[in-house]
Amino acid sequence: MTLADILDKDLIQIPLESNTKNGVIEELTDLLVTHRPSVNREEILAAIFAREALGSTGLADGIAIPHAKTTAVESIAVVVGVTESPIDFDSQDGKGCQFFFMVVAPEHEASAHIEVLASIARATASNAFRRLLAASRSAEEVYELFRE
Amino acid sequence: MTEPFSRILVYLDGSEDSVTAAMAAIVLARRLEASLTAVYVVNTRALQDLVKARIFLDIEEQEYRRDIEGDAQRYLNHVERLGLQKGVPVVPVKTAGTVHSEVRSYIQEHQMDLLVLGGISEIHSRRDELLSETDRMMRTAPCPVLVVRDSDTVWDMFESLPDAD
Repeated sequence: MTLADILDKDLIQIPLESNTKNGVIEELTDLLVTHRPSVNREEILAAIFAREALGSTGLADGIAIPHAKTTAVESIAVVVGVTESPIDFDSQDGKGCQFFFMVVAPEHEASAHIEVLASIARATASNAFRRLLAASRSAEEVYELFRE
Repeated sequence: MTEPFSRILVYLDGSEDSVTAAMAAIVLARRLEASLTAVYVVNTRALQDLVKARIFLDIEEQEYRRDIEGDAQRYLNHVERLGLQKGVPVVPVKTAGTVHSEVRSYIQEHQMDLLVLGGISEIHSRRDELLSETDRMMRTAPCPVLVVRDSDTVWDMFESLPDAD
């Protein structure tokens, strides 16, 4: 399974309105809950914040991949957001993050969870790809970018 | 005339498609009186890549590895039970590493003569097509490959095969 297999245009937000780490995580979670009302918002937030407490999922080059296993979802979901400018996410390179990929998966989908995370890592490792992502102005553009 | 295939290998990855492939392999093994092995590869390469990219902490890598090994055992047990139901002994094999390399090595070392795969999904991205483990297995397997589609037909085939006494 790859990101392109499960990416949903409704779960892409450009731009994100929040400009704090917690705000971004909450905004991404709210987007998921809006389109999948059966999902438990508080459970997702608890799982994501528990993982962040172990160490930030803000990586390098403006990418953050908050993720968690949770019983709040029945199948794996990815929510994508881009802020207009980088925000502080306690990232590992000490720089701000602008591209957010929140991945939540049920406990029984460990293999798929790993494959999707690896797929995001591969895609975002490219400078050219990140430039195209930064230049995207709509959910549709981001969606097509990942399907190229 | 000898049967075309005598040692069949089916690849399991925890997906429904791979279980369907296993059911097709059981039907085939019984019809051809072939031996059947089911292999599940714990993708430690992907886990290591996530640690290297600092997406996973060491503690997560260990936790997910345990989860996947548990999944592997459950799926292998399930396919063994399906085989027993139809009188086909299934040899379960759990291994770890890079998926397509492990499968290719197993085929070579054990002289398997047919690889059965499910789960060749629609290609959504050229980037992922190049890195899909299932696609790589299909391209690199040193033996004929059977890709199983149409789960309804396979279910019918499986169900119509008489159970073992």
